[in-house]
Amino acid sequence: MFERGRDLTQRFVKGEISRREMLKGASRLGLGIATTGFLLNEAMSQAIAADFDWQKFKGTKLKLLLNKHPYADAMIADLDNFKSMTGMDVSYDIFPEDVYFDKVTAALSSGSSEYDAFMTGAYMTWTYGPAGWIEDLNAYIKDPAKTNPNYNWEDVLPGLRASTAWNGVPGGALGSDDAKQWCIPWGFELNNVSYNRKIFEKVGVEPPKNLEDMLAVAGKITKDAGGPYGIGVRGSRSWATIHPGFLSGYSNYGQRDFDVADGKLKAAMNTAESKAYHKLWVQMIQESGPKNWSTYTWYQVGTDLGAGASGMIFDADILGYFMNGGDNKEAGNIAYAPFAANPAAKAPTPNVWIWSLALSSFSKQKDAAWTFMQWASSTEHDLFGARKMDFVNPVRASVWKDEEFRARIDKSYPGYLNQYEKSSEGSKIYFTAQPLFFDLTTQWAETLQKMVAKQLPVDEGLDQLAANIDKQLKDAGIGG
Amino acid sequence: MERVSTLERAIRTVLIVLVLVFFLFPIFWIVLMSFQNNDQILRIPPSILFEPTLANYTTLLTGKLQTTAGNLDIAFLKNLGNSLLLSTGSVILSLILGVPAAYAFARFKFRLGENIAFTLLSFRFAPPLLVLLPLSLYFKQLGLTDSYFGLIWIYQLICLPLILWIVRGYFEDVSPDIEHAYRVAGHSWWTTFRKIAIPLARPGIAAAGLLAFIFAWNNFVFALILASADKQPVTVGALAFVTASGIQYGQIAAAIVLSVMPTLLLALYAQRYLVEGLSLGAVKG
Amino acid sequence: MSLASVSETGSVPIRKRRFARHALPYLLSLPALLVCIGILVPFVTAVYYSLMRFRLNLPAMKGFIWFDNYINFLSDSAFWNTVSVSLTYALVTVVVELVLGLGIALLLVKPTRLNNLASILLLLPLMTAPALAALMWKLMTNPNFGILSYLVSLIGFTDFRWASDPRTALLTVTLVDVWVYTPFIMILLLAGLRSLPKQPFEAAALDGVPRSFVFFRITLPMLMPYIITASLFRLLDSIQQFDIVYSLTQGGPGDTLMVFQVQAYLEFFQYTNVGRSAALMMVLWAITYFLSNIFIKQWLKLRERARGVS
Repeated sequence: MFERGRDLTQRFVKGEISRREMLKGASRLGLGIATTGFLLNEAMSQAIAADFDWQKFKGTKLKLLLNKHPYADAMIADLDNFKSMTGMDVSYDIFPEDVYFDKVTAALSSGSSEYDAFMTGAYMTWTYGPAGWIEDLNAYIKDPAKTNPNYNWEDVLPGLRASTAWNGVPGGALGSDDAKQWCIPWGFELNNVSYNRKIFEKVGVEPPKNLEDMLAVAGKITKDAGGPYGIGVRGSRSWATIHPGFLSGYSNYGQRDFDVADGKLKAAMNTAESKAYHKLWVQMIQESGPKNWSTYTWYQVGTDLGAGASGMIFDADILGYFMNGGDNKEAGNIAYAPFAANPAAKAPTPNVWIWSLALSSFSKQKDAAWTFMQWASSTEHDLFGARKMDFVNPVRASVWKDEEFRARIDKSYPGYLNQYEKSSEGSKIYFTAQPLFFDLTTQWAETLQKMVAKQLPVDEGLDQLAANIDKQLKDAGIGG
Repeated sequence: MERVSTLERAIRTVLIVLVLVFFLFPIFWIVLMSFQNNDQILRIPPSILFEPTLANYTTLLTGKLQTTAGNLDIAFLKNLGNSLLLSTGSVILSLILGVPAAYAFARFKFRLGENIAFTLLSFRFAPPLLVLLPLSLYFKQLGLTDSYFGLIWIYQLICLPLILWIVRGYFEDVSPDIEHAYRVAGHSWWTTFRKIAIPLARPGIAAAGLLAFIFAWNNFVFALILASADKQPVTVGALAFVTASGIQYGQIAAAIVLSVMPTLLLALYAQRYLVEGLSLGAVKG
Repeated sequence: MSLASVSETGSVPIRKRRFARHALPYLLSLPALLVCIGILVPFVTAVYYSLMRFRLNLPAMKGFIWFDNYINFLSDSAFWNTVSVSLTYALVTVVVELVLGLGIALLLVKPTRLNNLASILLLLPLMTAPALAALMWKLMTNPNFGILSYLVSLIGFTDFRWASDPRTALLTVTLVDVWVYTPFIMILLLAGLRSLPKQPFEAAALDGVPRSFVFFRITLPMLMPYIITASLFRLLDSIQQFDIVYSLTQGGPGDTLMVFQVQAYLEFFQYTNVGRSAALMMVLWAITYFLSNIFIKQWLKLRERARGVS
């Protein structure tokens, strides 16, 4: 029966029968959904195997460094397919997210050849690339001897491809012609509004239309919802406080972190518009943000939404996605909306976080590692993860068109597809790529904390911050 | 010692109760959390009433985490085993190296003696980060990367100064007269050390060993930087429940409870040595 | 006085004796030193890094700059803030823990079964890894779900913001530090108290000496070496505090809790500024060295005096 199921799925992949026919056939055979999924993916793996020698590195042993994350879980669930298709062996070290990047820095800075490929964020490659720890993947993607013909790199969303490519020049535009592809986008998150429908109905509000409206809606929730506060955003002393909602809204007003001229950078966060934006943001947190805002990270923002302690969040869409499942109290009550902070803006401009795969320069088997990476970022695996696991958001345009994936999302995550579609065009990294990214962005968060605590007026704080940053840029030889 | 009035005894009792409440309430709350699921832990306002569940413990002990996305493997027991191995190994090594050295510093005035003692203490000054990163380079060259042996060596940074200086204090407090008498009776230096000096300082050795064990147990940065995933202690392992899709507080609480158990048992066992000091107090000074 | 001097009365040939007498203390202490000496190599490497302009992601700028990293600290207000925060933190926690630990040790000094059990149970906070304990404290002080926030709201503090408010941040981390580490001091002093000789106390009791006098003139001086050891180790750890501060506030809000180790950690792991990170830690090392030197001198002096008395 298993064999017949295999035959059925293979015919589907070849396009001989439709999806419905295949599923009907499968149910006639008595195969459960899960088995079908596995067989289907096996068949797909065979399909991509068609014109490419996947067995070239048979017997090679790879080792990965992974973060404990649903994306890694999805990959591990599908890993046997890769092993049987290539005859390679893959082992992995998984570290908790809290300490993951420390482990990566420690492993790479010591030049350890233990790990061949690893998970990373795009921002981190601004350190790893210039430090000489990771490979430019253009050399692999563009080489037909190394990359299978069905890989379809162009299918990966253009904003994400560009956001993971940088020429290494401080201030150099992401995705420029001379850019090096430091990593392969794997899964990503963009920042919009996730809200609690029950609370919104109770208070009688709609998802906010712009930042001023957000202040009003959040204020009304804090006042009328009988407990929950209005808006959850991150506030800890970290670059991660700046990058989600805050920078997405900031960019929507056309504001930048730096001005770049003649290869020199200059802080740009003390313009009049920026000051106005900061004032609104600070006011929003003071009036209707979480009380312990300055200790809030991804986890607290999410936990509060999932437990019904906050009315909405302006953070990663997948954070809202996770809170709508699992054993969260508010699972099933969360909905999603696109959000453009600037009333004059046509569409949202979400800054993005991209979990990516990078190839270690210290690996002794780079070609074999790339074989794994192209499989892990293939349409087939992306589809499997998006349909069966929490491999969301997928990075491939074709997966966003997949009916099964869309149906699954639409059924349980109201408004999710809409928020994505309204904002996908403007989704990219809005930070300027430069080597002092983590120092300077952390200082930005520190300044924001002082403003919210009323230790520092917004105008003065931003002028100080800009002066401080300019000095550091100059010291590092990249300031104007 | 002296006669105590009823009032004083009452005040003492009240104070002890207050102290116990302050130090044990958070522990009590963590134990309660370990029998709750996240939904119950994250209630507004928090409540002491709940339906207990063993799910957190089952997850940790079976190593299978049930999620909406399927079964995930949890290496908690492996982490616990690593912690046991690393802490026990380090403390034993520290005792073997540290107790004789402590004795030497307490009993002999020798050239450079105080300098050596201070140098040994100064290993505790070095912020771990300062030595860790260069160390990871040398570990690679020495072939010690990702080995229990290498880790136990580095753990000496935590354990050895502690054991050395605490035990030294106890040796200093034990009068050398008894040892003299024993030696004069014709026993070798080594026998005297074993039969007289060590037993007399045992409470100090027990206290120092216990504390060193606790500090080794609680460390996580050494293993994190120097070893791969299969050699991580519970402290790193428990952080695995801080996931992108939420913090599993119940499981972290259960992990804390389980990870405290071995140390607690050790402390209860060491207790009799800690108390022994009293019976010997009479022969001192 | 020393054991070696006694041994000369033995029957073994004198030359061998003399060698043994001189060599023995070295033989006993050198293994410990040798095991630790390997650590010196990375330490020297770190000193070298601290004299360099060395940022992993700006390889072109790498170069030897002598003491520039240190000189730059002098005019850096963030650096002085770190110095003052670290010292304040260390001072406050050590003093509070010492007073509290001594008090508890005195309460539990009688070796009854109950007291012994209590002393072991009090070690529980110390047995909870600070990194995990801090995670739990963060939850317990959360304004929505936190039991501690709830309890203080019952007594009127409805808007108490714990570690997230610059005014109460130091108080909160001190509270956690005190909770974790007071048992450390307590157990050392308890063991010390219980091993003190009995005669002076018995004599004082017979003479009817007031108890406050006994405490300040007999107990405290005799306990002093233990107090110094315990506070020395506490000081070493507390001036290098990382886990609790980093888990609760990452050094914030603003720069309220930016202690040395947190700053050095950020400089290395996030900013990959190896040179600056190493220089910061060398300063921390120097401060620690200086402070412990004072403690050790004091300790040796007390020991000398104790020996002289006996």
